[in-house]
Formats: sequence, structure tokens, C-alpha cells
Amino acid sequence: MSSSTLEVTHVTRRYGAGATEVVAVRDVSMTVAPGEIVLIMGPSGSGKTTLLSMLGALLRPSGGTISLNGTPISELPEGRLPKVRLHKFGFVFQDFNLLSSLSALENVAIVAQLAGAGPRRARERARDLLIEFGLGDRLAFLPEKLSGGEKQRVAIARALVNEPPLILADEPTANLDSKIGHEIMRLLRRVAKEQGRSVVIVSHDQRIKEIADRVLWLEDGQFKEMVTMAEDPVCKMAVEREKAADRLEHAGVTYYFCSRGCRKEFEADPARYLLPERTLQGASV
Amino acid sequence: MSLAFHNLLKERLRFVLSIAGVALAVMLILILKAFLAGMNRQITSYLDHAPGSFVVAQQGVGNLLGATSILPLGAQASVEAEPGVTEAVPILSQFLILEFHEKKQPVYLVGYLPESGGGPWRITEGRAPDADDEVVFDQVLARRHDIALGDHLEILGDDFTVVGLSEGTTSWMTSFVFLRLSAAERLLRAPGLRSFLLVSVEEGTPLEPIRARLSGLPGMDALLLEEMKANDLRLFARIFSAPLRLMVGIAFLIGVMVVGMVIYTATVERQREYGVLKAVGAPNHVLYQVVGVQALLASASGALLGVLLAYAAGQLIMAVRPQFLLSVEASDILRAVGLGIVMALIAALVPARLLARLEPAAVFRR
Amino acid sequence: MNRLAIRNLVQSKRVVLISVGGVTLALLLMLTLDAIFTGVERQITAYVDFSGADIWVSQESVRNLHMTTSSLPAGVAERVGEVGGVAEAVPILYLSNMIVTGEDRHLAYVIGLPPDASMGGPWRLAEGRPLSGSGQAIIDRSVAEGSGTSVGDEVEILGRALEVVGLAEGTASLVNSVAFIAAEDFAQLRGGGEAVSFVLVRVAVGAETASEVAARIETEVEGVTALPRAEFAAEERRVVRDMSTDVVTIMNLVGFLIGLAVMALSVYVATLSRRSEFGVLKALGAKTSDLNRVVILQSLLSVGIGFVLAAALTFALSMIIPSLSANLTLRLSAASLLKVAAASVVIAGAAALMPVRQIARLDPAMVFRGK
Repeated sequence: MSSSTLEVTHVTRRYGAGATEVVAVRDVSMTVAPGEIVLIMGPSGSGKTTLLSMLGALLRPSGGTISLNGTPISELPEGRLPKVRLHKFGFVFQDFNLLSSLSALENVAIVAQLAGAGPRRARERARDLLIEFGLGDRLAFLPEKLSGGEKQRVAIARALVNEPPLILADEPTANLDSKIGHEIMRLLRRVAKEQGRSVVIVSHDQRIKEIADRVLWLEDGQFKEMVTMAEDPVCKMAVEREKAADRLEHAGVTYYFCSRGCRKEFEADPARYLLPERTLQGASV
Repeated sequence: MSLAFHNLLKERLRFVLSIAGVALAVMLILILKAFLAGMNRQITSYLDHAPGSFVVAQQGVGNLLGATSILPLGAQASVEAEPGVTEAVPILSQFLILEFHEKKQPVYLVGYLPESGGGPWRITEGRAPDADDEVVFDQVLARRHDIALGDHLEILGDDFTVVGLSEGTTSWMTSFVFLRLSAAERLLRAPGLRSFLLVSVEEGTPLEPIRARLSGLPGMDALLLEEMKANDLRLFARIFSAPLRLMVGIAFLIGVMVVGMVIYTATVERQREYGVLKAVGAPNHVLYQVVGVQALLASASGALLGVLLAYAAGQLIMAVRPQFLLSVEASDILRAVGLGIVMALIAALVPARLLARLEPAAVFRR
Repeated sequence: MNRLAIRNLVQSKRVVLISVGGVTLALLLMLTLDAIFTGVERQITAYVDFSGADIWVSQESVRNLHMTTSSLPAGVAERVGEVGGVAEAVPILYLSNMIVTGEDRHLAYVIGLPPDASMGGPWRLAEGRPLSGSGQAIIDRSVAEGSGTSVGDEVEILGRALEVVGLAEGTASLVNSVAFIAAEDFAQLRGGGEAVSFVLVRVAVGAETASEVAARIETEVEGVTALPRAEFAAEERRVVRDMSTDVVTIMNLVGFLIGLAVMALSVYVATLSRRSEFGVLKALGAKTSDLNRVVILQSLLSVGIGFVLAAALTFALSMIIPSLSANLTLRLSAASLLKVAAASVVIAGAAALMPVRQIARLDPAMVFRGK
């Protein structure tokens, strides 16, 4: 996967016309690489939802293009979109949006079936995913019997069952308490890093910054600030590159630190803090 | 009160649907009643226009349109001899089955004396029969089977010419065919046979004593026109009452269900609002009122619409099938509207109970 | 998708109850009305079917028993009896009249039988014995029961008091019944001279069919119509059928429209209430046709269940009612079932039309707009 998964080029979205025209998203561009987690934050009404809708081919831009793995999805005719939605995107919602009359297993299987899998294969895949997410004994439960965290895990399993290259999440932790929210975040990160999928998250939740690779700030339909996250090699804290207290270049790589203290420690003994992998490995979800 | 209005009007679609449900049920009930009322009118039409105050029939026969009636020979003379009787118009009548265009058509044949009466009361085209091979035919039946003045008909093997078309002489079951008394005697191979006498009395004479005397004559019974009409109506009511009541019951149930479903779903979707009201301290009966008013509004408008639809449907049916008479009577309208309201109130019961059991704290549960 | 359709139905029990209930009632309306008329048709031919005649001979161009009259001159019975192929010819008198039992008056077809008639009389006696002479009558058992009359009591027929000597089984319908008296009593009371109404014929055992013999009778005897029993019965049934076609059609239409309205309403409301879930499915990549399948399947299932229930109920009614009510029979015919089944399919399809349009117009972006 050498090319970027998602390319957003000068995308604009207008509503209404003339005097009542509203520009929800104004000339927005971004790219997301495979395995990258991008967090889009911003105040209410900033256009985050509109942007996410366009990324997921639920809405057509008024101008500009959105391409996924080279295919300009914003230009596809309506008839081709269902297939794209099934195979190219996985959606995770704030309200979970599970089908209330289907069990956890069926909720995931139905999406696989829509994509063409036979009923048995669909259920097998669904089962595997759900067991992997620790829901092995909840397969037959209806959503009303599942906790918030469990529902979101079902939703994520549903988002993954057709192996899409891009996961889109809208406030995935908003309805979950702190501990569960953490778990979901880590699950999303695992999905991105271990499976090489791009993840775009729209959220108010500051804690998501911890797992994000980049943070984009959307205000009045435009990206105002770009923030890239890095990990302080000494204390392992998530640090915004642009706002890092201190930084240091070592052997051609720039490292960012939460404080001068950490930088000094690093300087004293770099080899000690340099690890082959730079992934957050939290407790298993 | 205003909340009820607000709820209903905001959800215009639901309002429309609940009205539709009541309208449908009310329309059905009214149409059934109209059908019955129209049929009753048709059943009594002959006696409505018959001359005289009594009908003398064979002893034991109380219907015009039921059993065959056979008066003893000389009945007419005996009756006319009774003091107070001014005239006894004889008719010879018989149910027959004719066939037109391969369809069996029951008719009620009436042989009468054109100079005395007992025949068609309104001839829209042509004239009364002058000869024994002439008949007066009902105009609706004539139109249905493409029969015109001058056409020939075969009845029991004899040939007749249609010389007149009558109005008001049909029903969906049967139609009247009129011919001269002598022609009927010949056709039925019953010379001198009489079925009924239409008896007129001197003005001002009390009817009951004469009736008793006439009934006392051997082999005869005398009935007031109203009595005979009532007997005919009762006979047909017996046949149709069960199926009709079944259908009215079904219509009612359907109305309840439709309105109930609509109001129920409306209430469920508004649970949060009602919960808030409760949390703020509104007592249950206020909420019942809201639901009840919704139901009443829907039912009142629905009933009104149902009446209009019933009338329109009746006109349509009569235009397409003129042998049917559907008369929407005022009393039936009132009753149907009343039923519509009852329907809606019953339908509101379940949602009301739902509200009663609502926990205000549910409001805060996200 | 099928599973979703079924699960959705199972989940919204109240809506399903109402939609299935409403459709069942509407279809029940259609089926029971058909069954009532079919039942009447059947009852009406009981006398013709069971009185033992192979051929019915009537006045020329008279092809019915009910609601008509037939008059044959005296001597016709002998002439018919001489026609080749006729084993026996029994003349009967027939008149629609009232019989009076106690305080009650009943509409009845009064049959006047010659002595020792081998045909034309009651085919099953619940009580008592056959007619043996003047002054006697046999009336229907249920009519007798209804007015508290028993064997040995008096009834008034054609103006005269006669003794009930027997009670017949199977001779009553919703509207009237059959009563049997001696022909001589009949003739006296009616004053019709020597005329008879019908001649009942039994065909000689041999190679000839009833139709062949009937045709010969018509050729050889003047002024008569001769019909084999089956044909005569068919003509009788046609009276009911032709008379009731329009009413049945109208009521069928009404039932159909009601079923359609209830179904359309239910499916619409059901789809409406699941709008957001359908929107989610669309956002996840379901095609409009996938979602339509769910709606159509739901519609078909509901109507299908309604049809089965309505048919079962009608069948149950046809079993129960005869034991309850006097002489009202219901008969569920294959033709009626087929017709109502076809109507059900149309209802299911039409009811899904509006929701299908709704789904097509669903904007998947609505998943984000909150509830």
C-alpha cells in the first residue's frame, strides 16, 4: 500500500442557494495514509459531520474530489455507491446504530451478506470477529441487552467484516464511560496499526488524541490548525509536535518531548529509550 | 388541549392516517346501512303505492313477497259485499324466473286491471297494457338487458310485447312485470285465480272492525298495508341480518384498530415529552385528556369524511348498478358518527394506559 | 435480509397484531360472504338432489323450482310414463306458501304427493312415518323444534289443519323449508283442478343416460321441458348465483379495499418507524433493492398469515355454525380460496408501494442527523 488510502482535494460543500446559502465545508484538503489515524476536532456546527458524510460517500461535495485508493468516489454515479460503501468504508457511530431486532451476530453478518457472502460464511466471519473482540458469549444477544461498550464493539466488528481500507468513526466514545471509552479507542488503534487500515475519527473527546497520529482542527468549514502527534520516548506521553515543550534531533530523526526534563534524560542516554517499534500497546481490549 | 392540537398537527401524516382509519370504518358502516335502507325501500315500494287501506290475502299468508297467496273463489265478491268497503282491486301475482343473456332474473309478475289499479304507479315510457299479449317492464331491468319499447319477450313459453316501462319497480333481487289480469290467468293456467285484493273503505270509517270482519271471512286474512310491509321487511331482514351485523362488527373493529395503532405510535414517539410533563408535575388525567382529545379530533374529522365518502360511494354504486338503491338516512349518519367517536375513544385507551405507567425519571435516561 | 424482515415483524408485535388482525378480518369478510352464498346454493338444491328423481319434467320453458311456478295439464304424467326409457313417472304438486305451527308462520314449499309416491317425498325421516293418506303432513324437523311442534300435533297448511305424522331431516334452509302433504288435500285446497306442477321421472336401468331419455320426453310430450337432475340442480344454483353476483362483488371489493388500506397503513407505519435503521443500512451499503425486499417480504408475510388465519376461521365457522344457527350453512369453496389468495397477493404488493418509494428517497446521510 504505497499510495495513500484517502485523498481529499479542495472539497467544498454548499447548502441552499443565493441569500440563504450556507457553506458547510470550504476548500478542505487532506490525505490519510494506510494505517494512519486522523482525528478531526472542532466546535459544533464546524462542518465535521458534513465532511465525514462526504468521506463516506453519503453526501456529494459541491466542489473538489475525494479519492480512495485512486478511485474518485465523489464522482461515482449513485448506482455504484452501495458497493463502495460496503467494501470501502466501515462506519462507527456515536449511537452505535445497531439493528434492534437482530442479534449481535446477525448485525455483523447481515453486512457481510449484503456484500455477497453466503449466509454461513457471513456468520462465520461475524463470529470470528466478535470472538476476537471478546464478545463470544454475547453472540445471540439483542442490542437492548448489550452494554454501551459491547454495542460499540459489535459496531466495530460490523465495520470490519468486509475488510474495508477506511474506517470512519463519528464520536465513537461519546456515549461510553471513561474506562470503556479507552478500550474502544485502543481497539480502533489496534485495528489501524495491525491491519493497516486508515481511520478517520470525528470527535470532541480530547482523550482520542492519545491514539491519533494527527489531529486536525476544523472550524467554520476549514482546517485551522494542524497538529501531529508524537510520543515522548522517555515518558511515553502523547505530545503534539507543534506544541511540544522541547524537541531534539538524533540520528536524523526528530523526537518530541513533553518537557525539558524528558529531553535532558533522553540526551543523556538515547539508546536506552529508542525502541524498534513506536506503538502504544495498552492492555488488551 | 393545545398540546393535543400541536401534537396532531405537527405530525400531519399521522393525523391524516388516523382520520383515514375512522373515515373508512364509518363509510363502510354507512354503506351497509344505506344498502339495507335502500333495499327496504325497494321491498315496500309496491305496497307504498298500492290503492286502498287493506290487503286481503290467503289465510295464513302475511307477505306480499314471500309465499304464493291463493284466495278462495268468489273472494272479491264477498269482500266487496262487506259494509264500509268501497272497492276491492284484484291482482294475480307470481314469482317467475326469466332468463336474459344467459342470466337468471327473478321477476314478480302482477296481473292487474288497468282500469282498477294495482299496477305500475309511474310509467316513464309507453303505456299500460291494452291487450293480453302486452306487458309493462321495469325500466332499470330493461336498460340492463337492452330491452326497449316494442321488443318481444317470452314468458313461460308465451310471447309478449313490451308496451311500457315503469319506474320504481325494481330491486337487486327482483323486478316487477305487469300484465293484464286475464293474461296472467291464461299464463298461469289458473282461470279465476286471485292472489290479493287491495281494499279501499269509505272515508272516515274505522279500519280495525272492518279488518276483523274481513279476516273472519273463510280462507282469508286482511292486513293493513303497514302490517304487510312490516312482514316483508322482517322476512328479508332475517336473511340479511346475520351477515350484515357481522360486517358492521368487522368495520367497527377495523376502525378501532387503525386509529388505535396510529395514536399508539404517536404516543410512544412522544414518550419523552409526556415524561417531561409528568416530571414537571402534570397529573395523569391531564395526559389522558391530551390523548383523548387527539382521538376525538381524529374521530370527528374522520367521521365527517366517512359520511361524505359513503354518500359518494353510494352515488357511484347506483350509477354503475342502477338496480341497487343506497339511501343514506339521517339517523344512520348520527349513529355512524357516534360509533366513530366510540371507536376512537376505545382506541385511545391503550396509549392512555401507557402514559399512566410512564415513569417521569425515564426522561433522564438517555 | 429475509431474516431482518422476519425479525422486524417479530419485534414490533403491536403493529403486526393490528396489521395481521385487520387483514384477517378483511379477508374473513370476503371468505365468509362467499361461503354463505355457496352454502345457500347447496341448500337450495337439496330437494332436487335427494328426492329421488332422475329427470324433472316441468311446464315448457320452466327450468327452476324456487321462485317460479309450473303447471302441467292432467294426463301429462301418464304420457310421460309411456315414453321409452321411463321406468316410473310421479306427478307432484308444488306451491310456495305459509305453514302455521302454533303461533309461528313459516315460509315453506308445499309438496303434494300422490299415494305411495316413490319419489318427491322426504328422503330422511328423523321421526314418525311416511304419509299414508289425507289429513296428514310431514314438516321439517328443525322448523318443528323451533316452534315446539312434535309428531301428533296439528299444523295449518293451505288453510286446513293437518296432523303431523313425520319430521323430515335436511329439508330446511335459511329462508324456508319443505312440507309434504297428500296430493288430494293439495288439490282440494288449492282449487287448481287436475293440473300438476312437476312430473318426476326414474329412468329404466339400462344403457341410456338420463339426458337421452329427457330429450325423448321433450320430443314426444307436448308443452314440457325435461331436465336431468344434475342440470336442474345447476339451474337452481344459478338463480342464487346470478342474483347475488353484484352484491358479492361489491362486498368483495369492500373487503379488498379494507385489507389494502389496513395493510398499506401498517407497512407504512412500520417502515416509518424504522426509517433510521433503514438509513443506517443504506449508509453501510445496502442497495435500495435490498431494503425493498425487506419491506415486501414483511408485507407478504403479514398478509400470508392473515390469509391462513382467515381461511382457518372460515372453515371453523363452517363447522360450528350449522350446530348453532337454524339452517345457515357455510361452505368454503376452492374457487373462493383461490380468489381471495390472489387478492391477498395484490394487497401485499400494493401495500408495499408507498414504503418502497419512501426507501428510495431515504438519504443515507441522515444517519448523522440524530434522532
